[in-house]
Amino acid sequence: MKEEPITDALLREFLLGKLADDECERLETLFLTDFQTKERVAVVEQDLIEDYLENGLTKEDRKRFLLRYAQTDEEQRKLRITESIRDWAAMEARTPQPAAASVSDWDRLRARLRLNPIFVVPIAAIVLIATVLAIVWLNTQIEQRKHLAIEQELAQLNSPMSLRESPSQMISFDLRPVTARSVEPTPGLSSRAEIRLVELHLPWIRREHYSIYQAEVRRIGNNESFTIRNLPADSGDQNVIRIRLPKHILIRGQYQIYLSGITNNGSLSSPEEYSFVVSN
Amino acid sequence: MARNSAIPPESFEEILAWLDPDREVAATMYVQLRHDLAKIFKWRGCSDAEELTDEVFDRVAKKVHQVRPTYEGDPRYYFRAVANNLVKENLKKVKTRVSLDDAELAEPIATKDEEDHRLDMQECLKSCLPKLSRENRKLIVAYYAKEKRAKIDNRTELAQQLGIPVETLRVKVHRIRLSLQQCIERCLELKANRK
Repeated sequence: MKEEPITDALLREFLLGKLADDECERLETLFLTDFQTKERVAVVEQDLIEDYLENGLTKEDRKRFLLRYAQTDEEQRKLRITESIRDWAAMEARTPQPAAASVSDWDRLRARLRLNPIFVVPIAAIVLIATVLAIVWLNTQIEQRKHLAIEQELAQLNSPMSLRESPSQMISFDLRPVTARSVEPTPGLSSRAEIRLVELHLPWIRREHYSIYQAEVRRIGNNESFTIRNLPADSGDQNVIRIRLPKHILIRGQYQIYLSGITNNGSLSSPEEYSFVVSN
Repeated sequence: MARNSAIPPESFEEILAWLDPDREVAATMYVQLRHDLAKIFKWRGCSDAEELTDEVFDRVAKKVHQVRPTYEGDPRYYFRAVANNLVKENLKKVKTRVSLDDAELAEPIATKDEEDHRLDMQECLKSCLPKLSRENRKLIVAYYAKEKRAKIDNRTELAQQLGIPVETLRVKVHRIRLSLQQCIERCLELKANRK
């Protein structure tokens, strides 16, 4: 039987106890063993709690919800905590920000400018330059934040505990070091829509082995690179280092991976290079 | 109420070693597994999820010496299978499922004690909020700014502003909210112990 893809709607039905036993068993097993499914379940559960608090559940769903989430004192306390966080945030959002002072400053400035039109052009130029600089700065901040979020996600996916898990919707590829591939073409991967993770197996062909490794992933033609630290060697085969990449960071193009061992004094060994092409 | 599970120390050690060779990782996995199994029992409509979770570990403890040497794969699948058997046994014991139409379900009601709790909660929330970074605080305010239908558009817009998919935004907010919730729970426990 073909398994249904895991969507928010499916998880919602699961949490409300509307699925058949075999489907429940499949999702429960994933919930136990796959960190990403566990987190998705928690997010959908949170949406459900919000809908309950907003009176947005049907009569039947409300009964199902109460049966599962509001029977014990602890469950009721959790609901109230969520409610208090939500109420506080909604109240903060409604509270007008202290903008009055800046408006009156602006009015005073305008009044002065009316008296001294000679200042209008230089001030407008300064404001324009400041705006451009602010936009550039803001873009840099957004990019940095995005970069940091991806590196955090990579660290999570490649932690020793996560690497022991076998998540669903993952495909694996064996890569060979560029130095050992001679004239073979660069391996390519075209990931399908339902795939969330790509696992790459990187053979370590050097004589020296290390307890941990570091990988730097970069896309050719792009200055951005992502570093994954503290990668263990594969517990089954010490000559292979596995790395996991979320599909959403892989865009069409050629990628390089530089894998280095981390020595006892914390320095990096000379790197081994691997490459692959994404053609989705 | 949860009963006291009495797992012999050597079986407990073997369960930990089975979960992971690193004792610290194993201990984290043990706590997580208990929490997850209790959730599964709850989802399956079992009334005493904690007691059933204890029972899973008791049963595994009795078999771990025999099973572990030949078992291949993630040991959590084994715990899952034991839990599944318990769910079925529990259903047989209960025999009939109560129809949702007939079920008398308690809505959380605000009693005087609850009002006191609410005040405690507000105090705890106030004490925990400064522990959030300014950025996370702003994010959670923006995320919950709108309700019902308007919230979907609001969150899509917010995700666009941050340059991340809505899914990532939801996970991000979930993590912030979870840290806040854990802080509030610790604070409420401290308050309860003082009373």
